[in-house]
Amino acid sequence: MNEARLTRHVRTALRLTCLLVVVWAAFHSENGNSAAVHYAYVGPGAGFAFLGSFLTLITGFVLSVSSLLVWPFRMLWRLAQRRQGYRKAHIRKLIFLGLDGLDPGLTERYLSEGRLPNLAKLREQGSFHRLRTTFPALSPVAWSTFATGVNPAKHNIFDFLNRNMKTYVPELAAARVSEPTRILKIGKWRIPLSAPVVELRRKSQPFWKLLGQQHIGSTIIRVPITFPPDHFNGRLLSAMSTPDLRGTQGSFSQFTTRVASATFESGSRYPLKRNGAVLEGSLEGPENTLVVDSGTLQIPFRISLNDKDPQLEIDGHTYALKRGEYTPWVKLNFKAGMGVTVAGIARFMATETEPEFSLYCTPVQIDPESPALPISHPSFYAAYLAKVLGSYSTLGMAEDTWALNEGVIDEQAFLDQAYSIMAERTQMFSNALEKTRRGVVACVFDTSDRVQHMFYRYLVPGSLNGNPGSKHAKAIEDLYQRADQLVALAQKHVDEHTVLFVLSDHGFCSFRRGVNLNSWLLQNGYLFLNEGLTESGRYFKGVDWSRTTAYTMGLGGLYLNLKGREAQGTVKPGAEAEALKRELITKLTDFRDGANVAIRTTYAANALYKGPYLAEAPDLIVGYADGYRTSWDAAVGKVTTEVFEDNTKAWSGDHSVDPVLVPGVLFCNRRIDALDPGIEDMAPTAMRLFGVDPPAWMEGKSVFNIA
Amino acid sequence: MFNQQSVKIKKQLWDRIKRVSGAAGYSAPEEFVEHIIERELAKLEGAQSDEEIIKKMKGLGYLE
Repeated sequence: MNEARLTRHVRTALRLTCLLVVVWAAFHSENGNSAAVHYAYVGPGAGFAFLGSFLTLITGFVLSVSSLLVWPFRMLWRLAQRRQGYRKAHIRKLIFLGLDGLDPGLTERYLSEGRLPNLAKLREQGSFHRLRTTFPALSPVAWSTFATGVNPAKHNIFDFLNRNMKTYVPELAAARVSEPTRILKIGKWRIPLSAPVVELRRKSQPFWKLLGQQHIGSTIIRVPITFPPDHFNGRLLSAMSTPDLRGTQGSFSQFTTRVASATFESGSRYPLKRNGAVLEGSLEGPENTLVVDSGTLQIPFRISLNDKDPQLEIDGHTYALKRGEYTPWVKLNFKAGMGVTVAGIARFMATETEPEFSLYCTPVQIDPESPALPISHPSFYAAYLAKVLGSYSTLGMAEDTWALNEGVIDEQAFLDQAYSIMAERTQMFSNALEKTRRGVVACVFDTSDRVQHMFYRYLVPGSLNGNPGSKHAKAIEDLYQRADQLVALAQKHVDEHTVLFVLSDHGFCSFRRGVNLNSWLLQNGYLFLNEGLTESGRYFKGVDWSRTTAYTMGLGGLYLNLKGREAQGTVKPGAEAEALKRELITKLTDFRDGANVAIRTTYAANALYKGPYLAEAPDLIVGYADGYRTSWDAAVGKVTTEVFEDNTKAWSGDHSVDPVLVPGVLFCNRRIDALDPGIEDMAPTAMRLFGVDPPAWMEGKSVFNIA
Repeated sequence: MFNQQSVKIKKQLWDRIKRVSGAAGYSAPEEFVEHIIERELAKLEGAQSDEEIIKKMKGLGYLE
């Protein structure tokens, strides 16, 4: 009786809350803003959202008061629902510790050498298997399959890049950020009347959303391809594909007294002007899209050389610069005018101090305390983490691999940066484990991937890109030992009602030689250049599409220039396309670089994938051999005169090879029943463990035999 | 919640969508509808400028 009355009160309170929310939303809609948090558009070619208005303040106040009043009722209601959600659960807690790129071969080697005591304990206690990965073995693809339990043709992520079928220009596959749809133009001003469009291109539904619908909460930290965040019953911090404040995937800055200016592959060099004992420069931020043709927003800074340590004065604060040491995260407020400010964070490091002075600045990242774009769900979760744990890196691929490739920072500086990011993530993971009594905690550490990319050369005798005598020759061994420590942290929160998985999305191979299949296609009559050209520019500039039948870009795929799909398609779908595919598969299987196999097998995508997004997939997936990968030029749609080239960059390990060569790892504190587990099995496993039936569209199978 | 719009659709059509969307591999009928609409819109809408698209890829470690 009392319970029924209570439920009635709760329902009334909920109705009132709903009414208030509707009124509040209506005001927002009238006001032209479409979300509770006001996001700025970062990236080229659009405008900033207004930061707020008086009306927002009033409605916000009313909403806060009403929320406080109904809070006890909501808590009771939620408690009752949660209890219901866990009624059929086989466990209380599920932990996924993701170690991006942890290679089974190296893991086994270090296990046998006794260097990974915590993983060894986990293996003895439960199980250790190789984990089948996706085709291709790329993080965006594999982690999307982890989240959804489906093959790429059902989640729509096939590579880092997809191609625009109208222009053939590659574009980021996972997320799209575009300018607001409504902009008021007054003279030189462009005032956005709606929020920027931020779109996650990954389709299907992640298991944490499905569990949330059954009142089972999850905390999802930095699992790739979660930008912008899903709205679900739980907390999520976005990861891979979150841009920096300039709208790129990470553009560093170098300021120096050495030269005037220069452009790197993925960063820029700017001059430092000497003025007595002071150096002056200006840090570039996002484009100012509020004012037409006003360029990028800038924050000027000074470096005073009078003190023992140079002092960096920027945005009203002073920081001591010690050579080879990073500053803490520096808050940067880029002022666009009309009271609009875009908040960013960056870290600085003096890389040389005399006689010349050079200053490295990380990509300017979205400030988690005041995010310019949505990077968490709920929106305050990013700020909560920053308040509790301190500021942290928010960029999708935060470790600055290009700064090391370009020699702007050295190996030590790269590792310091990578491990400080790992330390931030460890704190987040620890916080989530401490706060979670029931439900899912999933956290992915990607430092393991980045360090292997940059230091794999030390595992390959006679590597072209090694640094003889480097004190970091054992960087990868050290990395695996650090990863092992994370297992110890997770184990502290494991009891008999908890399942712990430690997994990786793929393994690693060396990258010694690049293969430019565009060049091979040119030499073999499948790709044509405009009259008089022997090479193309990037992004197929100079390619004659009217005669071209096949092309490659991105890391894993080869595309037919298909009629009715590509804008200037030449190959008829059906028998003609299938015949061309068969011909290319034959020629690109056991494909040789002299005596060495460069491509083991080439796969037809329609034999690998099944699902509604198959038309977006590459037509063929190229299975490179160990030591090979698509060349740097081919990945960005460039045709050259050479098919093979040496890779001389520090980026010397890769996994864009035949996926059978690079499975991931799967450790569990319990014995699993599956004999050949795959990454697609993780989502249905999570659901089964909580007593929720996976939906029919989910393809993976639980690794435990539970009904 | 706030960035979604409702569109009315005939019940018979919706029933057909519900029937086929699962078999086609979509996770929900709404996903099916969105995919079809997006595909058609892509044919009609203009693309972002190449320069904008290229700038957004800058910094991706896997690409030069």
